[in-house]
Amino acid sequence: MATADGSTAPQDLPGRLFIVEGIDGSGKSTQLDLLHKWLVSQGYLVIFTEWNSSRIVRRTTRRGKRRRILTPLTFSLIHAADFSSRVHEQIIPALQAGAIVLADRYVYTAYARDAARGVSAGWLRRLYSFAPDPTLAFYFDVPLNEAIRRIELGRDELSYYEAGLDLGLSGDPAESFRQFQGIIRDQYGKLVDEFGLERIDATDTLVNQQERMRALVQPHLDGAMRAEVSGLQEALAATGLSGRYLADMWRAL
Amino acid sequence: MSLPVNRPLRFYGESPPGIDLSPLPGRLIVVEGQDGSGRSTQIRLMKEWLEDHGFGVVDTGLTRSELAGPGIRRAKSGHDLDPITLNLFYATDFYDRVERLIIPSLRAGMVVLADRYIFSMIARAATRGIDPAWTADIYDFAPVPDAVVYLDVDIEHLLPRILINGGFDFWESGLDVMRGQDVFESFLSYQARISAHFHELARQHKFAVIDARGPIKQTFETILQELHRVVDDMRSTP
Repeated sequence: MATADGSTAPQDLPGRLFIVEGIDGSGKSTQLDLLHKWLVSQGYLVIFTEWNSSRIVRRTTRRGKRRRILTPLTFSLIHAADFSSRVHEQIIPALQAGAIVLADRYVYTAYARDAARGVSAGWLRRLYSFAPDPTLAFYFDVPLNEAIRRIELGRDELSYYEAGLDLGLSGDPAESFRQFQGIIRDQYGKLVDEFGLERIDATDTLVNQQERMRALVQPHLDGAMRAEVSGLQEALAATGLSGRYLADMWRAL
Repeated sequence: MSLPVNRPLRFYGESPPGIDLSPLPGRLIVVEGQDGSGRSTQIRLMKEWLEDHGFGVVDTGLTRSELAGPGIRRAKSGHDLDPITLNLFYATDFYDRVERLIIPSLRAGMVVLADRYIFSMIARAATRGIDPAWTADIYDFAPVPDAVVYLDVDIEHLLPRILINGGFDFWESGLDVMRGQDVFESFLSYQARISAHFHELARQHKFAVIDARGPIKQTFETILQELHRVVDDMRSTP
């Protein structure tokens, strides 16, 4: 894949990049969190990054959403700016250092969601050509009704853009959300084949899904950077603890 | 007798999603040129002249969007933006103005004066090592202007104007790219590179290149010829 600045090809970077994708309510973040804790307990240095979290860009995205002034094009570009900022500040440096990077949503979110808003597929792929290719990309496949049921349980109100109300599919937020997520899910279906995403059956039990993820990740771990926490490791070993809640602390580093 | 002429809405590449492609009564005039070339002075004169002749005018420029303007200014004050992110930030700012200001104004029959356009972004990005094809691709959805006025000034004439206007700005001196140089040297080599990119773009996109080294009045008189060419057919003739 070409890079916008002609830098080193991403696949040559020594780190490992594991990413999760799926529609809202697919359970991808839960599974990534479990994977994160496991990798840390194995002694690896893990960097976590998520969609829409650039300290430089996210205020602008929030402004656009709050004022409802985003068009399909500016929605796409501001999310690309957020992603780019994290790629250059967090992801590439960590991969250069040989660390493991976990990303909650990646370019495929833009490919699926922006395409649902009418932005052309070819343009989106060229736009994101600066993104390093992931080592493994997991797609959490969940039937639409099941995803909607989970979201209704866990959340009180859908925001304007989340519900896809800007597309004018339906004036009713719940119905708009259902249709919008359905379109995105169809887009994901195509991406699985195009990019060889690992499909995880998100209706399976949590523990089975996690087992499958770990089995797929395991062969890629050899030689990945380890966290230098020797004093701490000794303390943990002596007390028989895994130290899984220290992950939050390392995440902040 | 002739009726006012509507102009087709054309884009460099694809048209933006969901846009009405019917011809527009307004006109889009872009003014490009390096820092200190006199763009803002000439735009003020153009605006006054157009309004005096009965044309409605809207003016716009980089980072003036409601969506991304404040965010870009905040980000640039920190000097820690990588060029690709900065580029995407500018693209967001640009399309917010295109979709919510420029095209609606053209539809309403206004003359839109744009202080800088995609060419500044393409030249700046190229100077920062970004593949020009990637940048050009991002600006695929930009409307093709009715005229691009390029104010051409060489570095010897730019320098005194920059000094009078408060000295060297971090970004305009290219201090983020020309690392290790002092601000004066950095400014000279950065502006020389930008100028080379602009001249290449001027050739590709057939800018109206105007010698802007002379007195303001003389430059404006040349610009006026270009203005007539673009706006004369906006009114009916008996």
